[in-house]
Amino acid sequence: MQIYQKLFKKPWPYLMGGALLAILNIILFASTGEPWKITSGFLYWGAAILEFFGMDPGKWYYFSVYNNGLDSGETFLNNYYSVINLAVIMGALIAALLASEFKWKKIKNKRQLFFGLLGGILMGYGTRLSFGCNIGSYFSAIPSFSLHGWVFGIFMFIGAWIGSKVLFRYLL
Amino acid sequence: MTSGRIEELKKRRQREFKRKKNQIKYAVFCIIVAIIIYAFFLIHNVNYSILWLIGLLLGFVLQRSRFCFTASFRDPIMVGSTSLFKAVVVAFMISTVGFAIVQYNFIQGVQNISLNDIPGQIHPVGIHTALGAILFGIGMVVSGGCASGTLMRIGEGFLLQIVVLIGFIVGVLMGARHFEFWDKFIISQASTVYIPNYTGLPMATIIQVVVLILLYLLADWYDKKNSMMSM
Amino acid sequence: MKEVRIDCMYETCPIPLLKALKELKKMEIGDILIMETDHSCSITNVIDWAKKQGHNVDYVEISEGEWEIYIEKMR
Repeated sequence: MQIYQKLFKKPWPYLMGGALLAILNIILFASTGEPWKITSGFLYWGAAILEFFGMDPGKWYYFSVYNNGLDSGETFLNNYYSVINLAVIMGALIAALLASEFKWKKIKNKRQLFFGLLGGILMGYGTRLSFGCNIGSYFSAIPSFSLHGWVFGIFMFIGAWIGSKVLFRYLL
Repeated sequence: MTSGRIEELKKRRQREFKRKKNQIKYAVFCIIVAIIIYAFFLIHNVNYSILWLIGLLLGFVLQRSRFCFTASFRDPIMVGSTSLFKAVVVAFMISTVGFAIVQYNFIQGVQNISLNDIPGQIHPVGIHTALGAILFGIGMVVSGGCASGTLMRIGEGFLLQIVVLIGFIVGVLMGARHFEFWDKFIISQASTVYIPNYTGLPMATIIQVVVLILLYLLADWYDKKNSMMSM
Repeated sequence: MKEVRIDCMYETCPIPLLKALKELKKMEIGDILIMETDHSCSITNVIDWAKKQGHNVDYVEISEGEWEIYIEKMR
């Protein structure tokens, strides 16, 4: 019971979480040759939806440059990103259930809904410009010794500062 | 750090509520489903089985440690606390060394390597990176979660984060649609900077770890400055 | 020595922390702030911050995924 409380109930220290995430990322990188990435998967899901409605996003300029296209044998639904993104959701769900703290948390008001949607769109658009999100362009890019990871981190800080101002003004 | 009065309030509160429902049986069910999917991948696509397993563990660790990249940037600005930022810096120290070893092993075996062949997230750097990062930074603070945080919170049952995910998908589609413009305008002029090209991989590793240690010390100083003495 | 209750149900990070900060400023030393929240990050985020500020702090789970955080203002 003591061990259960410690492992599954009480939050782990941040430092331990950070170290474990780093180690998992290294294992992922060493075994598959690809570090942890997330957001291109969201694009592929979006492209799959467009395909469903009869459009042909596969022909977009975007997919023809910078290795942005799918690898051979992959589709917009069946690829690296779908597997790992769903696994992350599943892992978090298992962790929440083991702690008996899963709860459907409803949206409080229209303002929260609006800012959630707006924030999502801003993040999504940003990731296409900078070749990745806080994982692909930061958590996996700085250890890859690419300068764009550092630049992304510094300007994400500036963005967070602007976002904080907006939050103080409109959300509090 | 607690006190008698808080203990009393806690006791009173706990008496009011009956033993709470236990969700462990659902957890066991989910674990079984996860194992079945893992076994399926193991037979059909070994690469996917690795992704699935590591992804599960990543999600588990994210939820358990409440690891939030958004807060690591936001808390120093809003309340001057850098606990999470320090954890991110430590994670970078570990992964820098790990990634260096993986890249080193790869480079050893290959002659005349080009930048595109080096494993890892290596991309052009320029104004577009800064612009994208600023948009991303604003977005993550107002929506209350970054990419990994959004996925993790969907797993925890936040309906808001499903909305964020929908916004995210709309955003990436728009970004990809406009990519041609940005590419012609900015990105094609930018160069890719892989630091070890200038210093060698061992030196780059040492420099980066030293920079990270300095960053940690700075964050620690800032943290101490803002706790206890302030207000 | 009063008790102040704030409701942070369905709020996302960092609103609970900011609300606590705002409320604590108005309170007297020795008062206790009781915060109800269902945001899982709050029980590390808010508590970590309150400890650093030198307040007495603790929390209790009141239902699945819902917590009550107690902060006794010390300074």
